[in-house]
Amino acid sequence: MHWAVAGAGIAAVTLVLLLAANRRLGISSGFEDLCSLALPFPYFRRGNLITSRRWRLPFIGGLVLGGALSAVWTGGWHPTWELGMFDQVIGTTAGVKVAWMFVGGLFIGFGTRLAGGCTSGHGIFGLSNLEWPSLVATTTFMLAGLATTQIVYRLLFG
Amino acid sequence: MAIFYLLCGVVFGFILSRSGAADYDFIQGMFLFTNFQLYGIIGTAVVIGVPGLWLARRYGHTMTGRPLAIERKAYTRGTVFGSMSFGIGWSMAGMCPGPIFVNVGEGKLYALAALAGALTGAAILGAVYPRIQRVMTLPAITVGTGEG
Repeated sequence: MHWAVAGAGIAAVTLVLLLAANRRLGISSGFEDLCSLALPFPYFRRGNLITSRRWRLPFIGGLVLGGALSAVWTGGWHPTWELGMFDQVIGTTAGVKVAWMFVGGLFIGFGTRLAGGCTSGHGIFGLSNLEWPSLVATTTFMLAGLATTQIVYRLLFG
Repeated sequence: MAIFYLLCGVVFGFILSRSGAADYDFIQGMFLFTNFQLYGIIGTAVVIGVPGLWLARRYGHTMTGRPLAIERKAYTRGTVFGSMSFGIGWSMAGMCPGPIFVNVGEGKLYALAALAGALTGAAILGAVYPRIQRVMTLPAITVGTGEG
């Protein structure tokens, strides 16, 4: 899909969520929604989380379904361990991938919730709404990602 | 309404999947400056989003007539330190939060490990929130860091 089409589609969904339902796009809070279903910490018992999970849980369910439909659309849904560049450069062992992805996920879950947003909440909605903390967040996570990939692919496994 | 949110998610997830935004190689290509795609996607979304949201704020209410309520995020030390952590994770997993769910749906098995890690990371933040609240200048526990 051309980047301009994808970008326009993302902006359209963002605006529809806001104008139809007064919802601020943001996906990383979905991790808290899922945590709040199982964990008793006071942080997961706050009112605005219990309210917002009513829309975000179906939304992230839709993300999973959208991914599945996309796979079916293009040659069928097949579970896979294939991981592109990672397979060629770092390794093909399933155990290595699971450990690597789990650690990456830890950084994502802790970091996005500490920062109050991710690519969607800060990068798309926050920037579109001209919120300066979102500009700081977006610049920071882009630079951190850039540094990490450069270190991994040009230094460690270059 | 749940069906409406589900459909929004399906459209959003399908776009992320078909455009490369949920593809490990595209994410590394972005950070290696060898692939423009992700810059184009995020850039276009923001370039349309800025006037779109400006018009929405001017309009001032939803299509059903409710006043528009956009909760702005607080700036805290967590904005910087959290984003550093997230950037490292985005590079490692090749997925940001949306694509984690999309990749699970696509049948990429390692995405389940990324999801487990992300849920564990969020759980840790929830557990230590009262203890790091002051040093990270975070909002009250009843408010949280913001929807995002």
